Amino acid sequence: MSDSFKDTTAQAAAGESPEPLTEAMLSAHAREVIDGWLTRFPDGQGRSAIIAALRVVQHENNGYLTPPLMDAVAAYLDLPKVQVYEVATFYSMFETHPVGRHHVSVCTNVSCMLRGGEAILAHLENKLGIEVGESTPDGRIFLKREEECLAACCGAPMMMVDHVYYEHLTPETVDRIIEELD
Amino acid sequence: MKSILQTFLLTELLGGLRLTFKNLFVRKVTLNYPEEKTPKSPRFRGLHAQRRYPNGEERCIACKLCEAVCPALAITIDSDVSEDGTRRTTRYDIDLFKCIYCGFCEEACPVDAIVETRIHEYHMENRGENIMTKEKLLAIGDRYEPMIAADKAADAPYR
Amino acid sequence: MSDDTVQLEVNGVPVTARKGQMIIEVTDAADAYVPRFCYHPKLSIAANCRMCLVEVENVPKPLPACATPVADGMKVQTRSGRALAAQRATMEFLLINHPLDCPICDQGGECELQDLAMGFGRDVSRYTERKRVVKDKDLGPLVSTDMTRCIHCTRCVRFGQEIAGIQELGTIGRGESTEIGTFVERSVGHELSGNIIDLCPVGALNNKPYRYRARSWEMTQHATVSGHDCAGSNLYAHAVRGRVMRAVPRPEERINETWLADRDRYSCHGLYGEDRLQEPMLRRDGEWHKVDWETALKAAAAGLKDAVGRSGPEGLGFLAHPSSTLEEFLLVEELASALGSANIDYRVHRVDFRDPDAEPTVPGIGVPIADVEGLDAILLVGSLIREEVPILAHRVRKAALAGCRVSFINPTVGEWLFPVQAEIAGGAGMVAELAAVLQSAARKRGVAVSERLADVVSGAHPGPGHDAIAASLGQESVVWLGLVAEADPARADLFAIAEELARLTGARFGQLTVGANSAGAALAGVQPHRGRGAVPRPRPGLDAGAMASEGLDGLLLLNLEPEDFPPETRPLLDDARCVVALTPFADDALLSCADVLLPTGTFLETSGTFVNCEGRWQSFSGAGRPPGEARPAWKVLRVLGNFLDQEGFDFDDTDEVRDALVSHLDGLSHGAQDRPDRILARESASPARAVGLYGVDGLVRRSEPLQAAAAASGDPEA
Repeated sequence: MSDSFKDTTAQAAAGESPEPLTEAMLSAHAREVIDGWLTRFPDGQGRSAIIAALRVVQHENNGYLTPPLMDAVAAYLDLPKVQVYEVATFYSMFETHPVGRHHVSVCTNVSCMLRGGEAILAHLENKLGIEVGESTPDGRIFLKREEECLAACCGAPMMMVDHVYYEHLTPETVDRIIEELD
Repeated sequence: MKSILQTFLLTELLGGLRLTFKNLFVRKVTLNYPEEKTPKSPRFRGLHAQRRYPNGEERCIACKLCEAVCPALAITIDSDVSEDGTRRTTRYDIDLFKCIYCGFCEEACPVDAIVETRIHEYHMENRGENIMTKEKLLAIGDRYEPMIAADKAADAPYR
Repeated sequence: MSDDTVQLEVNGVPVTARKGQMIIEVTDAADAYVPRFCYHPKLSIAANCRMCLVEVENVPKPLPACATPVADGMKVQTRSGRALAAQRATMEFLLINHPLDCPICDQGGECELQDLAMGFGRDVSRYTERKRVVKDKDLGPLVSTDMTRCIHCTRCVRFGQEIAGIQELGTIGRGESTEIGTFVERSVGHELSGNIIDLCPVGALNNKPYRYRARSWEMTQHATVSGHDCAGSNLYAHAVRGRVMRAVPRPEERINETWLADRDRYSCHGLYGEDRLQEPMLRRDGEWHKVDWETALKAAAAGLKDAVGRSGPEGLGFLAHPSSTLEEFLLVEELASALGSANIDYRVHRVDFRDPDAEPTVPGIGVPIADVEGLDAILLVGSLIREEVPILAHRVRKAALAGCRVSFINPTVGEWLFPVQAEIAGGAGMVAELAAVLQSAARKRGVAVSERLADVVSGAHPGPGHDAIAASLGQESVVWLGLVAEADPARADLFAIAEELARLTGARFGQLTVGANSAGAALAGVQPHRGRGAVPRPRPGLDAGAMASEGLDGLLLLNLEPEDFPPETRPLLDDARCVVALTPFADDALLSCADVLLPTGTFLETSGTFVNCEGRWQSFSGAGRPPGEARPAWKVLRVLGNFLDQEGFDFDDTDEVRDALVSHLDGLSHGAQDRPDRILARESASPARAVGLYGVDGLVRRSEPLQAAAAASGDPEA
């Protein structure tokens, strides 16, 4: 992980999490969204809303979660903190460390592998000077750790950049897509 | 008739003497111990030793399997967490008076720490010397490590 | 066949089961063992180890026995070819990443994975890939971790969620990077946390103080009873060559189920500390000398006799720790009566000794521990129940989760980890708050409180909290006084009001008693106002408080240290001319005030009997040998009786002592006692002294892991 990011994980791990840890950390919008989701589940099933809550919180925090933010979600949903950590670490769409602005994930599952997906990934790693799971030092691009099949085999090799699919990739098209990012 | 004849002709006596005279000229099998010694198998089960790894770290991990398997209850072990956090013995005593040299401890050891060496010439002069402490066992191991290693290597293909 | 049962076959044998039962419960009952890791009868079903796969006829795939409900006509095969193949395959998967470090693993020899690998595993691994390595977690001073060994059964996770009520462990990550952990490093702090060691089927979570000390097969197992709280948890003490190495729970559904509080589990690690007394000691001219038993006992006998000579039997006092055994209590009482003194007490923690005759003959919680789960309402007055009796707190938690309305009246707000109906903390003080509840209850039921409490109640102003508590109490409910109330300067008032409240509402009344054997002390007559069999003494002696205020010439202490006394009564020890102490430990405080020290064994090193808070008599034998010259206290007392030339001390074992008491119990009266006309409400001037979770007796105070755990959780008493 690049040192250029403020690493709140280490801060929290070192001992006392910075105050306040409570739901006050969540924005009004985030709370509104979470409340909306909570109405869809029976009372006392706050656990079901964790994914939705984390998604909105992560979106508002430059694409990654921090322990204080996860604690805030836990406090808001009135759940043990660790249940939120469990969900956050399980799903690949949640990042628990600071990452770059643009999430790039290259598929290397069977179809893409046969059509040169691994070469595309190697090209990207080479070009950006980082490995899978790392972010560029300027905080622009985050090469997501693993992405199994994204269900676009007909367009293999493919990659996903900020939830947008790019198919039939060649090194040249990859270069163009990456350079167009801010 | 035949037996009377045999009795008078002393055939049995002569037969016996024949064996005696024959052996007068056969190569002797007795040895002038201790000047002369018989060769020993690498599997010989004599005095115990504790071995170390080449970097000096003692092998014994205090698993107590030798203590458990010992049919004579000759081994006594205390263990604790060592300074580097590993499992080590704080006491490893073998009572040589109780030991029956069966070699089970050697068999049970998962790390080849306790071994029985070729050494069988040793004695005690005072009470208490029959207790082989960890220090004594390690000292024997350090001294005879080349021999122990060679014996282990010689036996390895058959294990 | 009734509606709620089903008929099925297990391995061809027809069995009847309840509807909704899982296959594994039925196979267990039918003695058909099915291997399992994640299933535990006290925890919810996870079905994530897949070890319990069994074959069910007409089902295309093997089914997990722990998560498949029984159905009528089901034909279950637990040992068929398909079942065994499935189990063997699961075992192979489980072993892919499990390290082969059994020789250094403390679980080796008592490991479920090891056992099942022997039964269901292959002898040679087919995997050559590298095994994964997981960083160990720091779970505090009580539990050691070797997370590489973890097979992700999640029993520890479920324990936190369901039993402790404080989920600190979780399943972090997924796939091959799955780990059991806390994500953000923090230690696990709960008074039952040690139970995750027993739950862990492998060596991932282990007993930290016991780490690498012994192997399971070399220890001898002694069934005994814990001597730290009034529940009397059953435990096994494991000893090697007479030294106690560790304690593990002994299942007893009526008391501790399968659990054991940390205090009971880790106290044995304080046994062999530096200030363990190993030889009798005698003070001559201000200097301590190690002496033999005969010299010491002669000196003790002479000291006690001289005290009687100087100030008569009234100048002699006997104090015992409430966690002493019944036999020790009985012999102390015998000794006191033989010397003509009724100055005998076990209530050294108490400061308010008023109204002694109001107390029940045998103190207790008033209901069997197992029935606590089924109560409708519980009112705890002056109780930090999680600290005082952790095992009982677990029962209360179970009750609360099942809908029981639990309320507290305490000096401070507590963290209970279960739903609480009402918690009244601080405010006008416990007496006033409790009186308000009583007034509310009396008003609601339209009855008058008894005359003697009229003054207290008249000034009370019940609020909604008080009304809610009063409304909740009824037939299936209890009012309990805790140990905070017991040590409170207004104990007698709290007692009278709480008892009246229980009487008015029809609830049962009880006390969480101090120490392991308060009931035993009462039965043995270790009280100044009641003798053996709790029969009132014709001439009551001095209680512990009066001893302190009147002063004594000679004093015999049993298992007590100065630290056990509240500051108010501690000067008693310094003022007495001759102090004979029977004690397992001798710290500087005791050395400075005692004159003869007789080394005794702790409850782990003596045979004896504890009577718990539900009145259950539990006899046990010693697990370890007392170190050095120390001897079980009952033997010391018995020989001391001989040295004092007294009759009736010819006992050969603790069973004889106990039987001598039983013959006295026929006259045990539970009838009404005289009560004073009027209670003068005394408000607590100073808050009660809390001894804390890990300060209850000398052994617990000397257990390093427990003290470290207390320090980690920020207990100011540690």
